[in-house]
Amino acid sequence: MSRNKWFIAVLLISIALLSVASVLAQDNSVAFNSYSSDPVPRAFEESMVAAWNEAHPDMPVQHSIINHEDFKQAIRAYLIAEPAPDVLTWFAGNRARFFIDRGLIMDISDMWEAEGFDDSYAPGFNALATVGEGKYFLPTSYYWWAIYYRPSLFEKAGIDGEPETFDQLLDACDKLNAAGITPFTIGARFRWPAAAWFDYLNMRTNGPEFHVNLMLLKESYLDERLQATFANWQKLIDRKCFVESPAALDWQEAVDDMVQERAAMYLMGGFIVDSYPDEMEDDLDFFRFPIIDPAIPVGEDAPTDGYFIAAQARNPEGAKAFLAYLGSKEYQQAAFEQMGRLPTRTDVDISGATPPVQKGIQLIQSADYIAQFFDRDTTPPMAEVGMDGFMRFWDNPADINAILQDMENERLRILEEESE
Amino acid sequence: MAAALQIKKPVVRRRINWTPYLFLLAPLALYVVWIIAPTFYTIYLSLTNWNGVDPVPGFVGLQNFERLFTKDRTFSEALLNNVRWLVVFITIPTTLGLGLAMIFNNEMRGGRWYKISFYSPLVMSLPVIGLIWGWVYHPRAGLLNGFLQAIGVSSPPGWLGDRELAIWAVIIAAVWRQVGYVMVLYLAGLKNIDPSFVDAARVDGANRWQLFRHVVLPLLAPVTTIIVVISIIDSLRAFDLVSIMTRGAQNTQVLANFMYIEAFNNYRMGYGAAIAVVLFAISLVFIGFYLSRVIRDELEY
Repeated sequence: MSRNKWFIAVLLISIALLSVASVLAQDNSVAFNSYSSDPVPRAFEESMVAAWNEAHPDMPVQHSIINHEDFKQAIRAYLIAEPAPDVLTWFAGNRARFFIDRGLIMDISDMWEAEGFDDSYAPGFNALATVGEGKYFLPTSYYWWAIYYRPSLFEKAGIDGEPETFDQLLDACDKLNAAGITPFTIGARFRWPAAAWFDYLNMRTNGPEFHVNLMLLKESYLDERLQATFANWQKLIDRKCFVESPAALDWQEAVDDMVQERAAMYLMGGFIVDSYPDEMEDDLDFFRFPIIDPAIPVGEDAPTDGYFIAAQARNPEGAKAFLAYLGSKEYQQAAFEQMGRLPTRTDVDISGATPPVQKGIQLIQSADYIAQFFDRDTTPPMAEVGMDGFMRFWDNPADINAILQDMENERLRILEEESE
Repeated sequence: MAAALQIKKPVVRRRINWTPYLFLLAPLALYVVWIIAPTFYTIYLSLTNWNGVDPVPGFVGLQNFERLFTKDRTFSEALLNNVRWLVVFITIPTTLGLGLAMIFNNEMRGGRWYKISFYSPLVMSLPVIGLIWGWVYHPRAGLLNGFLQAIGVSSPPGWLGDRELAIWAVIIAAVWRQVGYVMVLYLAGLKNIDPSFVDAARVDGANRWQLFRHVVLPLLAPVTTIIVVISIIDSLRAFDLVSIMTRGAQNTQVLANFMYIEAFNNYRMGYGAAIAVVLFAISLVFIGFYLSRVIRDELEY
């Protein structure tokens, strides 16, 4: 009997000790979960957090970097946890809107006003931060998409000038093929680079308005206009514009095709330079995705990244102070100078921009419409089925009607779910 | 006799000894909290359209299951891939592992070294194996295509990028790991065979094949049962390699990864739970078979 009592006592004491320990762990730190897992952004963010921690020893930031793809899937678990992480990286637009509508993102209007962000952020990005009366999202940087190419290989194949029209692009493909160089490389093993082709071909063929409505599930995937988009895609395939097995490589592995002069072009985001050897960047340039129909407005993909505070954050005051730092001029200036990320603030000094960056800014400023990217503009399940469809199309273009039917079925299913 | 025993039984009221129950309490509580309760919660979720953030899941009855079995082409793709995986898993690693075990059961020079090299893939985590095989299958710089090009194949396939080949490429990576596992299980089984059976068969003039077919193999039957069941369960829960190597693209979807994508990427917790329930039901058939075998064997001894 006494032995049992002894046992129970030990059990109770250990439970008590555990709960005391967890209470003691509460402090004034800020938990910051980030998806900046590629080497260059990771190093930059770590150095900026280290600078904050040095200046604010009373309010240290606990920085966790999670693989980009895993982060996208884990974010729901983060946001409904109690307490949630305080500050998180995320995408502007539709992806943020989903959580704002469900009350999972904190209203940061007071911080926004105290910091005077209304005056210092460009109007378009101000709009990205706003839902109704409140501010919820802090958009801090964006990058452009374009066709990257190696001028030396263009010269070798006898192509003069960057292709500006679709016919010129097809012509460039023929010349490169004749010179024994693959025109386009693509690393679509995880599918998303294929979505850029759809975004651009659809925006160039049917205009940004149709594209954005399609992304918002307001247009049908059985629409006649999509046939024209895929017919243009088919032209590129028929003229052997693409590397033989587009799904075999990861996006970074496909960069090697350009480095090793096997392929001349790559439709990619501005972050391609992070993976490109520095000493070879002199022979890397980009141009706007060629115009197919000059009569329609020009849309560009320019995904915007930023930060927000979880509604169930443990330390809202600390989170707001840190968020103000992330949105500050100093931070964006550093991100611009060290990584070439384009600032969302108007007061960042970009006069020191290298010619490629000025070209990129020009590219975005001359666009009539800015899209985020296929898997950011539309809903996650639609993006999943869509990207699978693009890869099926690439494998067997004759299957296009079945593919579009599957996409339409998914669209109807999502609309049905939303109405429930 | 029975009456005599009853008379001898003491009529003292015994106090119950609570100590063993107290010790059982902690593991049982953990088991209920982490295994039993989530199982039932998942079954409940499979009848809802929960999106992972709404406070109250909406009840939709069997609608998720209806969609799975009638409308969802990814589900049939995943199910078919699991069946492919299963068929390969219960045939190839089992026979290869048995063959290797028969070879290494004999004393030979460097036998220990060979055993270790076949067993070594098992100590690596599956994601690491996925990465390694991703490099092996690399269409330009990979080991496999490097070899194929060296022997004169001009345009070798893109392996993980090929919709026909990708699933088989992933399964082969899994087989590579499983062979060593099966080998070790069979080696342990062979060590347990009483040498007198083998000696007796030899005295009776059995040749090597007869010895294997009629003596060794029947004695290994309990091990074989375990291996087959483990292979089935391993192939049903295949997830890591697919997730690392293709994320389910190029026709390589399997049920576990499909469940993960639906629940955590598409935010359809209810639908994902329905896939989990289907997977659970399939596993239950084999687990039930296995348990009945084990219990029957225990009763025999």
